[in-house]
Amino acid sequence: MRDVTRLARLRKRTSSGLALAVALVAVGIGYSFAAPSSSAQDTGLSVEAMAGQEIYENSCITCHGANLQGVEEQGPSLIGVGEASVYFQVATGRMPLAQHEAQAQRKTPVYDDAEVNQLMAYIQTYGGGPELPAEEDLRDGELAEGGELFRLNCASCHNFAGSGGALSSGKNAPSLNQSSDLDIYTAMLSGPQNMPVFGDNQLTPENKRAIINYVQTLNETADPGGLSIGRAGPVPEGLIIWVVGIAGCVIACFWVGTRS
Amino acid sequence: MSREDLVTLGGKMDGVEVIYSEQPVRPGSPAERRAERQVAAAFAGAGLSALAFMVIFVAWPWQVETPGGGYDLSALYTPLLGLMMGLALTLVGVGVVLWAKKLMPYEVTVQDRHEGASPEIERQTTAATLVAVGNATGIARRTLVKRSLGFGGLMLGLMAVFPLGGLIKKPGTALFETPWEPGMRLLTLGGLPIRPADMRPGALQTVFPPVEGGARSSDGVAMLIRLLPNQVDEFRPRPGQEDFHWNDFVAYSKICTHAGCPVSLYEQETARILCPCHQSQFVATDGARSIFGPATRSLPQLAVEVDADGYFVAKSDFIEPIGPAFWERST
Repeated sequence: MRDVTRLARLRKRTSSGLALAVALVAVGIGYSFAAPSSSAQDTGLSVEAMAGQEIYENSCITCHGANLQGVEEQGPSLIGVGEASVYFQVATGRMPLAQHEAQAQRKTPVYDDAEVNQLMAYIQTYGGGPELPAEEDLRDGELAEGGELFRLNCASCHNFAGSGGALSSGKNAPSLNQSSDLDIYTAMLSGPQNMPVFGDNQLTPENKRAIINYVQTLNETADPGGLSIGRAGPVPEGLIIWVVGIAGCVIACFWVGTRS
Repeated sequence: MSREDLVTLGGKMDGVEVIYSEQPVRPGSPAERRAERQVAAAFAGAGLSALAFMVIFVAWPWQVETPGGGYDLSALYTPLLGLMMGLALTLVGVGVVLWAKKLMPYEVTVQDRHEGASPEIERQTTAATLVAVGNATGIARRTLVKRSLGFGGLMLGLMAVFPLGGLIKKPGTALFETPWEPGMRLLTLGGLPIRPADMRPGALQTVFPPVEGGARSSDGVAMLIRLLPNQVDEFRPRPGQEDFHWNDFVAYSKICTHAGCPVSLYEQETARILCPCHQSQFVATDGARSIFGPATRSLPQLAVEVDADGYFVAKSDFIEPIGPAFWERST
């Protein structure tokens, strides 16, 4: 008895839903006929930017607003941030955000390269901003110069070996171990989240390539001293010495003592 | 006397008596040969490990392939050296312990101990002898000798510590001043002057005074920060320093007022400057006021303006000593 009622109710709901869908489609088709000018001509957007707009309106609009003006307490304005910023945030998976927390974390990207390009094209139409570098080889720079610039400008937050470090209130400077050349380049150019901006007049493209060369060389270099312990410096090294080394010696002493 | 008799006699003269003695293994037994082999294996292993250390030291590919070398045999160079040295030392210890436990006789011996103090007669005679020697030198009577000896000894001691005084230097005004002077351009590490248009909002530039070795002058180093547009409205300069910033640009000393570390962790969104050493935090929009951590004083602000050629220059030196506190510091 109950099953029959439920089935009937379900059928009724489905049919009403179907009717609504049909009506919506009809209105939509009617509207497109009534408004004959295509939106591409209206906005002056390229095909790629239009595809980007579609992605934007699906995924980004909630926090960044209909006209990229930003939403209070949700997300910043994207006007003038440039394609470099879009590349860094989307290609490293930081955007779209999984949740609002201290800062966006690197994760598996939601969009593939083509979709990132479309988004970049769309955002770039709003106020321009830093663009991706034209060069192919982003490691074409002086290694020693890169090291000096890295230690002055980057190492205080990202650690001398690029392992990252803590900031205030739960934020952190991420490790550079997984970063691609273009990730690092666009990060310097756009200053994502709490990272300061290093525009092309502060660190020239050649400076940037030198820094990338240095970082990637560090990433690829073996640790000649043995276990790197995260390359995080004397704190974890001291911890291992005390917890594993000294404790091991004490236990060995106890063991020898109990045996004699 | 045989050797055993001499050993027994020596023990008796010292009041030592063996009350129990046992050989852990019967001489010539299979157990003894086995123990012997164990000890020998440990010592031989120690020798081989030491040998391996030297072979690795000479022959192992130690050179780090870079760049793009990845992990190759050279990454094992130092760990292998450590492993071999550790193994050699451990095996020497293992051999000695095994030798003592498995091959040496197990003995219990007792020795008589005398009373703590010497006998009365020895104490009195020794004291009398010491006093007699003292009287024979006449030190108490011969005042001239006594005083000159005291003088000589004192001066000799002073001579030993006197050169340390050369290490004490009067600091002068070094702690109160930095190389900055009015009109000096702010330079990057590469020695280039900076125009306002070079820095986008949220940018940080470490700047140095244009003096000989300026990029190595650790007390003059400062951070030139361009605030974000929304931070400009929040900016509250310290009293009396209202004209130290130039539009949305502020410059602060990079030396922490707690322990003198470089405070270059700048969070552009929160305008916080963090010190990596002890986690002090300063707010760039609030005159670099200290809001967290052990630092109590604000970072000194460098007054900046733009000269006729459009480059940033300092308006004066820091108006207060930079860095950590010191005795002569008044505030």
